[in-house]
Amino acid sequence: MTFGDLSRTALSNLGRRKVRTVLTSIGVIVGILTIVTMVSLGIGVRLEINKQFKAIGLERVFIRPQQGERNFFTQFAPPSRSKPITESDVSRWRQMPKVKEVVADVDLPLGVASALKIRERVQQVGVEGTSSAFGQVPFQQPPTALAGQLALPDTPGSLLLTAGALRELDIGRDQAARLVGQTAEIVLQSPRGEQQSFSFTVVGVSSEEAPIVRVPLQDRIAMKGWWFNKPALLETDGYDSVTILAEDVASANALVGQIRAEGFRVQSLELILNLADQVFTVINVMLSSVGGLALLVASLGIVNTMIMSIYERTREIGTLKAIGASRGDIRLMFMLEAGMIGLLGGIVGIVAGYGLGKLLNRVILWYVEREQLPVRGDFFVVTPSLALYALLFATLIGILAGLYPANRAAKLDPLMALRHE
Amino acid sequence: MALNGVDLEIRRGEFVALVGPSGSGKSTLLNLIGGLDRPSAGEIWVEDLELGKANDKRLVRYRRDRIGFIFQSFNLLPTRSAAENVEVPLMLAGIARRQRRERALELLRQVGLGKRADHKPNELSGGEMQRVAVARALANRPALLLADEPTGNLDSKTGKAILSLLRDLLRTQGLTMVLVTHDMNVAGYADRVVHMLDGRVQRIEEGSTDADPQGVALEAEVLP
Repeated sequence: MTFGDLSRTALSNLGRRKVRTVLTSIGVIVGILTIVTMVSLGIGVRLEINKQFKAIGLERVFIRPQQGERNFFTQFAPPSRSKPITESDVSRWRQMPKVKEVVADVDLPLGVASALKIRERVQQVGVEGTSSAFGQVPFQQPPTALAGQLALPDTPGSLLLTAGALRELDIGRDQAARLVGQTAEIVLQSPRGEQQSFSFTVVGVSSEEAPIVRVPLQDRIAMKGWWFNKPALLETDGYDSVTILAEDVASANALVGQIRAEGFRVQSLELILNLADQVFTVINVMLSSVGGLALLVASLGIVNTMIMSIYERTREIGTLKAIGASRGDIRLMFMLEAGMIGLLGGIVGIVAGYGLGKLLNRVILWYVEREQLPVRGDFFVVTPSLALYALLFATLIGILAGLYPANRAAKLDPLMALRHE
Repeated sequence: MALNGVDLEIRRGEFVALVGPSGSGKSTLLNLIGGLDRPSAGEIWVEDLELGKANDKRLVRYRRDRIGFIFQSFNLLPTRSAAENVEVPLMLAGIARRQRRERALELLRQVGLGKRADHKPNELSGGEMQRVAVARALANRPALLLADEPTGNLDSKTGKAILSLLRDLLRTQGLTMVLVTHDMNVAGYADRVVHMLDGRVQRIEEGSTDADPQGVALEAEVLP
């Protein structure tokens, strides 16, 4: 028998018991639907993360100082640094080949009580540096300027307000333009009640929703120096972080190894991305095994259906053998039948999974727009290779499930089968 | 032991009826000749092939290409049309679709069912179903037809029509046929009637032969 004849025969035999075929394949549909949905979520999220990371630029290298061990007595103290990033390190890195840009930064610890005083209003806000050092921030839409300029100049004493800070201060957005050029004060208050005021000029208002203000590095060094009472902060503690922009990804990777050898903590986005990839692979495998379980149950259903239908068609098998069908013909015929149940379930499962993904994408989009979340893009992505693999997998499950029943049918004794009622 | 010493020679072009009560071994002998069963001792030669020692593959090819089976209960595939049923042996032989369709239609015309080709078995009468089965048995141009009570499920008038059809086909196509029956009226159509009892050939009766048998088609020797 040719393969075409075998598959046509199998198909027409399946058509004889449509309800049973459909019911059997529902198990496969559920399994494949689950796998396709889960894996497409994995793919979609991974693509989205990749896209966001690419937007930041994979050629960035992040360096932090090496920290000393903490013990029981120092566990709540700021970490001591066994290897601080000094100014000489930064200028040395600037001289390195293939380095485009080096941005050193100092963070104010979260616990610092910093109050913004403007137009007689006082409110606690965070103090941060410029955000542009890290390129585009992942999962956020780039901010726009509500008034003045968006870029923070390096000149000490400039201050960038945000929409979030305005909200905290209870100043309407419509007032933003009038604030530009005005003076503002940031007052730090130590736990013992000592205060120190730093004065600034507002250069612009950005649309960011976080209740923060952005001030230049010099001012933040001064603030942190006052807070920890370390006037020579850069000499003793060094910078908190340095971002190096390399010319390309390969040289970024080279820099990671080089600077790590110097004893600093170094990460590149690619390393983080690889780590994220690994995490997503694990999650994907876990989610897919739910579908795998459904497929296992479905394959038992296929075995059951095939055994039933072989029992019903015993006489027919006997006839076929009497008029010249070989064991191989019979075996292949039933294996193809089982495979087709799998294939049918696979096709419907993939289409359903694709549809469900589209629907969920819509729902997520609707939610994102309603909540004005800074995320865009599809979270469920069915790639052609996913569809192909799912289809092959479903068919394979069917064929494997058909192996035992088909073998039973092939081994039937024609005389016994012909006598079967 | 179903057969207990049978020595039988059937000539080419001959129509032989095996008769006897149930349990006489006539069906067993037919199944041995059809390659569905193997003798525990003895030899069955169909032309140059010894069935007892042939391997499975050769037996399958033998059943497919050299013999045609006709059953008492027709054994048509219920969901296939008459033509498709006739096509099954051709399909098993790997013949292309268009050719086997042509062959099936030609065979159905030969058995007088040219206009019923697209009917399903449940739309056909018993006689028509057996005609389809005859056409199916002839599909691969076998040399030997094996019929197990072919008229057993038919009324006598239809049965006679089927028997005349079979006899005509034998004459025109030079086929050999072995037919199993317990009905002496049916056996009357044969050239030779082999009476069996308790697994032995009891006696052989020459019928009203108008055939001209030539050479040995089949030789069965089943030892006790």
